[in-house]
Amino acid sequence: MSDISEQDIHVFVDAISHYFTQITREKAKIKGAFLAQGEKFPPTFDLTGIIKISGKFRGSVYFSAPRVMLSRLLLSMHESHLSDEQLLDAVGEIANTVAGNARKYFGENMGISVPKTMSTPPKWSELVVRARPYVIMINWKQYDASVVIDIERLD
Amino acid sequence: MKLLIVDDSTVIRSRIARILGDARLEFIQVIGMAKNGVEALSLFSEEQPDLVTMDLTMPEMDGVECTEKMVTSNADASILVISALSDKATALKAMKKGARGFLYKPFTDDQLVEAFIELTSEES
Repeated sequence: MSDISEQDIHVFVDAISHYFTQITREKAKIKGAFLAQGEKFPPTFDLTGIIKISGKFRGSVYFSAPRVMLSRLLLSMHESHLSDEQLLDAVGEIANTVAGNARKYFGENMGISVPKTMSTPPKWSELVVRARPYVIMINWKQYDASVVIDIERLD
Repeated sequence: MKLLIVDDSTVIRSRIARILGDARLEFIQVIGMAKNGVEALSLFSEEQPDLVTMDLTMPEMDGVECTEKMVTSNADASILVISALSDKATALKAMKKGARGFLYKPFTDDQLVEAFIELTSEES
């Protein structure tokens, strides 16, 4: 197994940045990217979308956001239904888009699952494959959200 | 022209329909929506749409397999793949199976409208 690099993480930073610019015409601020550890274990919010990664990689990509941010995002798409079901659909779709866009860089050998969604905080100790997953913190319209990259290359 | 929208995300399905409505592409009529390839094939057979938007990563049956089956059943149907899978190999695979266009997610309203105009001008 070989580790993914900082350059690899930029692919996900670009993908989440591109998502907000394309959909809302308003940039999301990248607050920082860091390796999760101890008290900096991946911060999560109300709803989380999870994409399982397979093929020549293993692990998952997560996108987690507060309900209010997802509601504002759906409103910006002129979507008036703001039920939890819709918000979960949105958080899963964002996770799917970020992981899918990363294939431009990683290629088709990175398998992407359909999204799973959660409305309870992930139990990281049971989920992560890396000792220290990468975390990308973003801010859009004053709301924080996180992208967690917990993947390893299989050589 | 009859359009079938195929995507496992309800948000994306309703967004595509809303954008086309706002753009006043009145010659396009949404006749159905499906959340996976199996549902899509059933609607495709019942409704005989002229146009299909096709997601690729879906449960039950993925978009590449669904595209291939639709084209085998009716080679005249125009299929626009709309997917986040951004590697060239996937786009080529979908086109080889009979898709006529490929639009990457996340897309803007204008990009979707342009993709439809291009697709339907090829039709006429």
